[in-house]
Amino acid sequence: MFPQMRGEKPLLKPLTYLKCPECGTTNSRPFKEGDYVFKEVEEKCPKCGCTKMKIIGIYVKEKPKKPASKSKAF
Amino acid sequence: MLGFLEFAGQQDWISLLSSLIWIVFMMIFILYPTFSQRIQLSYILRDIERRLHKLKLMRDEVRRRVVDALKKYSDGGVKVDEELDRLLLSFMITPESMDPYGVVYKLEHILNTWEDTFEEHVKIICSKADKERAKTLTNLVEVARGLDYLYRVVRHYYLLGKKTSNIYTVLQIQMLMPQLMEIAEAYRQACYAFAQGQPIGDGVGVLAVAKLVEGAEKKTYEVAKDTIVHEVVLDGRKLFVLRAAGPGGAVGKPADGVLKILESEGDKVKAIIMIDAGLKLEGEESGKVVEGIGAAIGGIGVDKYKIEEISKKKNIPLYAFVIYQSIGEAITPMRESIAKAADEVVEKVKNLIASKVEEGFSVIVAGIGNAVGIGIS
Repeated sequence: MFPQMRGEKPLLKPLTYLKCPECGTTNSRPFKEGDYVFKEVEEKCPKCGCTKMKIIGIYVKEKPKKPASKSKAF
Repeated sequence: MLGFLEFAGQQDWISLLSSLIWIVFMMIFILYPTFSQRIQLSYILRDIERRLHKLKLMRDEVRRRVVDALKKYSDGGVKVDEELDRLLLSFMITPESMDPYGVVYKLEHILNTWEDTFEEHVKIICSKADKERAKTLTNLVEVARGLDYLYRVVRHYYLLGKKTSNIYTVLQIQMLMPQLMEIAEAYRQACYAFAQGQPIGDGVGVLAVAKLVEGAEKKTYEVAKDTIVHEVVLDGRKLFVLRAAGPGGAVGKPADGVLKILESEGDKVKAIIMIDAGLKLEGEESGKVVEGIGAAIGGIGVDKYKIEEISKKKNIPLYAFVIYQSIGEAITPMRESIAKAADEVVEKVKNLIASKVEEGFSVIVAGIGNAVGIGIS
């Protein structure tokens, strides 16, 4: 009956996921302008210290979904 | 003394006053039957006005963001605000379809002219931008155009309803407002994604084919405008993996690419597999991968028509993989569930090729979507 007043939604902030070509470790950090998937960046691997990492994904991390309750029919 | 004030056996002032007020209201509704509709109309108009104001703020925010992005790559000799306004109001007239024969090729011609002119105009504004950045900025201006058009259409129906006091006109727009506001919010988020070059949900098709060929020995070349092909060999089959060139914002010309490959390969191509994002229904999970038959490609219909025509002519089956997502998710930064779906699609494509195509033959695998934020693997 009453119109809903909703505030502005916050902007989605994707994370950049990187993989070390030497040891295979993956880590993530906030997205930086200039990042793109399959780009090789000069960043240090946190495990083996290799100076090159490859961006394997850029996406928004989702919260784990709660299992559907029994009361929900759909 | 106050006997004349007796009414219906009541003597107190308050009862009499409330009775008089009740009679006045009844007379209004009897003498002016559409009064209730007027009240409803003014309520609906107030509701639309509030949302229209919010739409205006979003439009202005996106416009400001686009101007800032364009100014960053402009050389200073161009009036960015004025040029952007020209682009926002520009239009394309689709061909007359009274005689539909040949209309698809007429549409293709008009569309190509429109796209080339639009891109050229953006490049003139941002002369300092490189090729990839210029493509992304073109997409950014298109987002601003979309939101500006949405705002103008809603404003048109609001003002029309107000001018004509027609409740049915405003009811139609009020019923659509929740969906329109969702689309406007998606445009707002998309503006930031394109400004920063972030991959969007619609790029999942491109991501999937890029992952298909990652690490493999391949031959890469441009086959059509903004469209590249990777030639790889997988389990004895030759794969022509087609996608838009990234990481700039481009969708390429997949149909032209498919036509060129079929021209050179002839009857060796035994299947065309297309991977694209698809609209999900409410209640469905985002990132769900579904298989089907047909040309999985959106757009105005020109590419879809050409792919269907050539596949029919050469009797090549068309297989489709679609990754479900909402309209908002398609144009905003890619979600985790959609990104993970790309890996699932790669396995399904490999299984399909192994089961449907014999060794020694070729397959075209086309990843459809916007390649913004997705480089070449």
